[in-house]
Amino acid sequence: MEPKKNVWDEVVKGLKTWARVNSPWVLHFNSGSCNGCDIEILSTLTPRYDMERMGVKLQASPRHADILLATGAVTRQARERLVRIYEQMHEPKFVIAIGSCAISGGVFEGCYNVMGGIDQVIPVNAYIPGCPPRPEAIIYGVVKLLNSLLPAGSQIPAALPVPENTPEEVTTL
Amino acid sequence: MNSQEILTLAEAIVGAWDWATEVSHPRPNQIDVKVTHLNELVPIVVGLRVKRLGYLCAIVGLDLGPEVNEMEVLYHFCPGDVVIGLRVRIPRQGGAVPSLSEVIPSAEVFERELHEMFGIEITGLRNTERLYLPERWPEGVYPLRKDFDPASLAAHEGGV
Repeated sequence: MEPKKNVWDEVVKGLKTWARVNSPWVLHFNSGSCNGCDIEILSTLTPRYDMERMGVKLQASPRHADILLATGAVTRQARERLVRIYEQMHEPKFVIAIGSCAISGGVFEGCYNVMGGIDQVIPVNAYIPGCPPRPEAIIYGVVKLLNSLLPAGSQIPAALPVPENTPEEVTTL
Repeated sequence: MNSQEILTLAEAIVGAWDWATEVSHPRPNQIDVKVTHLNELVPIVVGLRVKRLGYLCAIVGLDLGPEVNEMEVLYHFCPGDVVIGLRVRIPRQGGAVPSLSEVIPSAEVFERELHEMFGIEITGLRNTERLYLPERWPEGVYPLRKDFDPASLAAHEGGV
């Protein structure tokens, strides 16, 4: 026999998802990146691309963050720090690997001092390719991740409005 | 001093050790000195230093592979726009080079790196602790040697 659906639980669950999707706070950690991806992340957060319009806020402490934006291959020196930061985050937590190095190790693949991509060390929810990925790509990846939490009917549109003075080629996601 | 004067002076200094060195000119602003007697390395460096040519910019290790079974250590001195390279050859196993840190204190950082990346013994080096490699890197594994296999680190997984 199926367990009885509790209406109250359903409501609370919906409310939690609503809150989670509308204010994902992100933590940014560089475990061996060249800083290219980090600069793109900053560009994504600042007013030109303005990820804050989706409620995304850069958070300095892992204890207050929902999403870990991880860039760069994981060096052996940084591995323990990355794992410690991941463990300090509260559930539910999501990890987005940003850039080629974070996905597979990139050009550092097979080097004596790197472990490889982020997923060699901690579980990853979304991968954003690029060297570095454009801010639109990062926004797209974050939106995809948030959409995966939402029921089919209430998805965030992937093509978000962009500022009027943005050049033609960046208006299409 | 212009670069020609620096080169002339450097050759004159190294010329005092002509029985222990072989000098060549790979480029117009560079001289390359093979030091065949390892014990003469530090005196030559002192000689360069006294004439203010001892601006050490890098120490480079070079593993020539198991076939040759030798390693080379290159000391690059860069006064002005001139490069003075001293190179010594040592056996791959159990090779040792004298430390320059008594003459040039900042050489210690390069030498510690050389030691941990190539396993070359540096005689007279006071601090041989880990510098760049992770704390739990396995002993006796030297990543910049030709026969180093990155896959071998998997055996130490969770450790390295």
